[in-house]
Amino acid sequence: MKPVVLALLAALAFSQPLHAYLHFTGLRAGKPVAITWERAPVRWFATDRGVPGVSPSDFQAAMARAFSVWEAVPTASIAFQFAGFSGAEPFEDDGVSVVGFQDEPDLDRVLGATGFLIDTVTGEIVEADIFFNSTFPWSTAAGGDPDRFDLESVAVHEAWHFLGLGHSALGETEPRPDGGRRVLASGAVMFPISFGRGVTHDRELQPDDVAGVSALYPDGGFRAETGVARGRVTRNGAGVRGAHVVAYSQQTGRLVGGFTLNDGGEFEIAGLSPGAHVIRVEPLDDADVDSFFSARSPIDLDFQVTFHPRLFAAPRGGTGEPFTVAVRPK
Amino acid sequence: MKRAAAACCLLAASVLPAAAQSGAGRVEVSVGGGLLGGAGVGSASADLRTNEPGRKPFPLFSAASRIARGRALHARALVPLSARVAVEGGLTVSHPDLVTSVSLDAEGAPPLTVTERIDQYVIDAGVRVMLDGLRLGASLTPFVAAGAGYLRQLHEGQTVIEHGQAYYAGGGLTYPLLGRDRGFVRAAGLRADARVYLMRGGVAFGDRPRPHAAVSGGAFIGF
Repeated sequence: MKPVVLALLAALAFSQPLHAYLHFTGLRAGKPVAITWERAPVRWFATDRGVPGVSPSDFQAAMARAFSVWEAVPTASIAFQFAGFSGAEPFEDDGVSVVGFQDEPDLDRVLGATGFLIDTVTGEIVEADIFFNSTFPWSTAAGGDPDRFDLESVAVHEAWHFLGLGHSALGETEPRPDGGRRVLASGAVMFPISFGRGVTHDRELQPDDVAGVSALYPDGGFRAETGVARGRVTRNGAGVRGAHVVAYSQQTGRLVGGFTLNDGGEFEIAGLSPGAHVIRVEPLDDADVDSFFSARSPIDLDFQVTFHPRLFAAPRGGTGEPFTVAVRPK
Repeated sequence: MKRAAAACCLLAASVLPAAAQSGAGRVEVSVGGGLLGGAGVGSASADLRTNEPGRKPFPLFSAASRIARGRALHARALVPLSARVAVEGGLTVSHPDLVTSVSLDAEGAPPLTVTERIDQYVIDAGVRVMLDGLRLGASLTPFVAAGAGYLRQLHEGQTVIEHGQAYYAGGGLTYPLLGRDRGFVRAAGLRADARVYLMRGGVAFGDRPRPHAAVSGGAFIGF
């Protein structure tokens, strides 16, 4: 089986991280702002073309379920609307959001991808398109098909990008003999490398996913009921850029991650359940760096996995005491 | 470790000086201090989803937490219902560490103990029964006590409050230093308690009650 990456194509060309969860940014009046949909419901069209094992109606139903997964997050405010089948193709930059299959045999490590059209004055998303690579075998079987990739799982992932969000690094991988990496496990639907064929776990969101989408589209008391961790990661006193910081609540079992996003090594993780958290910092070495950061933003991978020696108490509805995690070179 | 702590508590209670029963009085207040034993509050692993069709989790690391033993201060008020039976209420304040041992990291990070100081308050009410028939010597009178109360724990920085319940049972000894029928202060003496608290909720990572041994000593005044 080939290693498969869930990629963003157009998005990475202009993205830069603003906060944790890698919200994509555009420029408004010269300043970076998180790109979002400003009007709801977000209307989407499906191409009227299926692939072996997935009819157009199967495809539309799987996409609708994937979007509804995000709509069901109680602490986020998002709504989608299926606008009909269309003969249009994804990535036509026509102001119409289209999702559908396309045959891209050259993208032999890409299951699917999402691209945007942005209003560069307002930061508003004008159009988002998703394509699924019909080079791969797909399934919408309720229990999954061991020989095919689960369309709904990948659709949930791409629907997140459709909302303007980037990847999570909450996962563990191992090198593959033929190059690339194989996922051992992940703590987010938004991990950039897909589970294997027949695995349907990513039809359900994980806490990291919920925290990320709620931070961008907050609703339902999200900010009042959850806490924020803020701090720095340093090595020899200097900030570490691109470190992956994870907060774990033993009380709830929730794992929520974020990144250090500047040369000062500063990070911020929103959406933490109130109470004590273990803080773990690791280098971003479980997926291609360009799944998270553009090549213009070199990051530091030369440090050991480190736990912060103090528990972090996330407040309810606020930001906890900032702290610094000192890491050591490998 | 827990057993050893409990044994020390009982020993400390038993080495107080022998004396007679508590002095007579209508309302009795006492203050003192002691040790509140530690207890495990749960263990779990930080799980990821595995790349397999089943639901077997992949532990990123494991965490086991306990509330460490710590010093405690208390204040109690007691109202007699009869010569031997009284109701009492109290406040116990302590600042134990919440200690989490992190281990078995999937990427080989060395095991580590991480901590947080918490503020802990137990407000309880119960019944105390003097065991006059078991008096030791002329003045040292044993008693048994039991009750229940409210557990309030604040995380470091006092930004998060955890709520729970506390139940206790135990006993102790009183040693009067003063007893008279008139005057503003009608009784005074020393008191030692050994208790087992069952605490539920709070920072616990589960609903199972956890036992905390406690020993304390203090002085009382009856009015």
